[in-house]
Amino acid sequence: MKTATDLLLTAYAWFCAIAVFLATSLLLGFLLKRGMGVIHPRLFFGDTPWFPALLGTKPVFEGIWPALVGTLALVLVSSVMAIPLGIASGIYLSEYASARVRSMLGFAVDVLSGTPSIVMGLFGFTMILFLRKTALPQARPSLFLAAGCITLLILPYVIRTTQTALEAIPEHIRLLGPSLGLTHWHHVRHVLLPSASRGILSGAILAIGRASEDTAVIMLTGVVARAGLPASLWDKFEALPFRIYTLAAEHRSVQELDQGFGMALVLLLMTGSLFAVASFLQRSLEKRWKTT
Amino acid sequence: MSIQKRRVDVVVILTICFFFGLMQGIAFCGALDGFAGLEGTIAIAGGTAHIPVMNDAAKNIMTVNPGIRITVEGGGSGVGVQKVGEGLADIGNTGRALSEQEIAKYGLKSFAFALDGVAAAVHPENPVGDLSPQQVRDIFAGSITNWKAVGGKDAPVHLFCRDEASGTREVFWEKLLKKGPVAATANIVASNGAMKVAISQDKNAIGYVGIGHVDQSLKALKLEGIAATQENAMNGSYPVVRKLYMNTKGEPSKLVRTFIDYVMSPECTDIIKKYGYIPLK
Amino acid sequence: MQEHARTRIPANHVQPVRERWIRRSLLIATGISAGAILFIFVLLVYFCLPLVNSGGMSSVLSWQWKPFGGEFGILPMCAGSLFLSVFALGLAFPAAIGICGFATVLAPRSVARSTLVMVHFMTSIPTVIYGFASVFLLVPLVRDWFSTGTGFSFLTAGLSLSLLILPTIVLVFHARLQQIDPALRLAAEAMGLTPVRQFLHVLVPAASKGLVVAAILGFGRAIGDTLISLMLAGNAPRIPDSLFDSIRTLTAHIALVLATDSQSMSYRSVFASGLILFLLMGAVNFLIRRLDRGPGENRYENGH
Repeated sequence: MKTATDLLLTAYAWFCAIAVFLATSLLLGFLLKRGMGVIHPRLFFGDTPWFPALLGTKPVFEGIWPALVGTLALVLVSSVMAIPLGIASGIYLSEYASARVRSMLGFAVDVLSGTPSIVMGLFGFTMILFLRKTALPQARPSLFLAAGCITLLILPYVIRTTQTALEAIPEHIRLLGPSLGLTHWHHVRHVLLPSASRGILSGAILAIGRASEDTAVIMLTGVVARAGLPASLWDKFEALPFRIYTLAAEHRSVQELDQGFGMALVLLLMTGSLFAVASFLQRSLEKRWKTT
Repeated sequence: MSIQKRRVDVVVILTICFFFGLMQGIAFCGALDGFAGLEGTIAIAGGTAHIPVMNDAAKNIMTVNPGIRITVEGGGSGVGVQKVGEGLADIGNTGRALSEQEIAKYGLKSFAFALDGVAAAVHPENPVGDLSPQQVRDIFAGSITNWKAVGGKDAPVHLFCRDEASGTREVFWEKLLKKGPVAATANIVASNGAMKVAISQDKNAIGYVGIGHVDQSLKALKLEGIAATQENAMNGSYPVVRKLYMNTKGEPSKLVRTFIDYVMSPECTDIIKKYGYIPLK
Repeated sequence: MQEHARTRIPANHVQPVRERWIRRSLLIATGISAGAILFIFVLLVYFCLPLVNSGGMSSVLSWQWKPFGGEFGILPMCAGSLFLSVFALGLAFPAAIGICGFATVLAPRSVARSTLVMVHFMTSIPTVIYGFASVFLLVPLVRDWFSTGTGFSFLTAGLSLSLLILPTIVLVFHARLQQIDPALRLAAEAMGLTPVRQFLHVLVPAASKGLVVAAILGFGRAIGDTLISLMLAGNAPRIPDSLFDSIRTLTAHIALVLATDSQSMSYRSVFASGLILFLLMGAVNFLIRRLDRGPGENRYENGH
């Protein structure tokens, strides 16, 4: 029997869902509208012809290509550091650690995952101060430092998803290794990891997405407003999210503002597609285990 | 590919690009000759008023000589001093003169290259166009909170101020506000560009910005009839004036010296004037 | 986290040398990950120490931030962070429960699924995008609709922040709801409860711990966010008098001061801010773990 309260609350629930849907669509629609017209080689390369710009032989001045390359370089370096480290830690925590060790280290990893990104950036900055006072007086904020801090930021994602993926493997698969007489490592490497591969992959992709969008960490550890293509690991660099943030506050003309919208769209496309791939993998993994 | 082969390839590409750049008819300033054959990185940090000039200069240099890399950051004059003093940047830009302590602590050398005034600015549609220095002081101190008290509409005053590191802020505070109190309710923006955007979007806003940054999206307030223009800043009738400085720690290296000479050379006066500043001889 | 019964090689099982080395290197990898957190903590404390030693602590824990007047109090920023996060949570939490109810009991299957997909997608939107879009959509809206303030205010940042943390709360709580034994809902249906009542009186209490965990996670995310408050809240270092005042959070304070700093005492205040944030998040995590491990947690879950 439906009372007035029932109807009210139903209306409320519908209202919440619709409101959130509207807010998100408004946001995305606005970005699409303002940014769509700007997606053009000119957005990326400015006045420089696109082929030399791609090769890096001619500098790009009014385009977002350096920022895009900077972000990609950052993501690449931090993924190369974080993903193997994270998978190894996940394997250890799931398969080798005793319950007490797992609890302790798990807590540390949880705290790491909860650390605000600005504190991570602050940490990177203090590392530079520390190094300058002690071992390395030439230490400067650089791509490597920013990548290192991003590694720490995304590490928990990889660790947690590896751990979860390994723990979700059903019992009958787990029995395969020991029943065939494999050593533990062989069991992990040839039986468990392939079974959990999709989950691990999706975790890695989520981590990559997180690395590409973060601004607070890189703001304090080496990103600048204008630096061209990153020449080496020890140089300052540009990045998409930072450029978007700067343009929001201080665009000098309508063209620059439009560039900002174009960049926002590019970044959204990047993270959106990474996310779609990751959740597709995750979904197919779940389906796989559910049917067995 | 062996290293020798790759190096030859790079040299060939660079040479081709060099001639390609030449053929583009880029203004081949005399002072840019000094960059031929040099290579290295110049890290510039500090004053936000300098950024447009630095960017254009960097663009010209890097187009002519791709072996040079110039990175430009903002942060404000305070950051410029700190970064160049600590060795984190090669050139620290300031929108104010260095203090005795700063010169003594870091051993800095200053190179002034342009003159800029600092004007109080409002939205172009704000009917108020002329204020006395005391009225400006009262507004920024928070004693006047409504535009009608100074002859404008009946609307609240929205204050915008700069961050602590800003040279623009320091000059404005010393010379116009006479080191008076500033209301704690002011919104803080982090650069000249940001101040310009903030004021141009808010009809009741007031803030301060380098005169070089003033364009149609802002209205610079007159001080008791004296217009805030660079000419008045030059001839002394407008009191709130500062020079734009490039600073280095000790004697600059050859590459940095060449850059400084380029910015201060006659060929760069066009760039400096384009952004609204007055080049110094 | 649940413990399943798993087949494990007992620790005293004889292992070839290679196995031991692999085990050791995996341990080292984990140690690095865990050690990083310790290192961060130690470094932050190390840089805060001069503050404590020189008695600057009392200066930093004060209510006025006027660096050129010699006052470096970060308490207004602490208050700003707290108020903003509580406000955002206050907006997002009820909406999240509404959406969970919608998706679990009220909406037809396909609509529920697409809602969840949308919420899931929202987690992938970077905060800088929320901030960027809000600067050009929300700020003029707030400024013109309410005609007070500059548009950069507590309210603007709070609205944007609540949109940011909403997906987190929804997903965590929804996951919890999914774990409840379906028999419970069938029983409620059999007793004649309407869907709304099933949700309110049976499902929510059964997943109550999930509710708390979701709220805490959302709060943690709100406190840790930098860009939204940096871009939208106005950054005046004071305690707000009204919704339309400009405020500064701890996170935005760190970003502003480090990007535009010129004095060493300001640095110290930044480390104090960082330490406070770090400890706060550590406490949040600790709380969540305690809740997760609490007794009676598995009462309503599958299999019991």
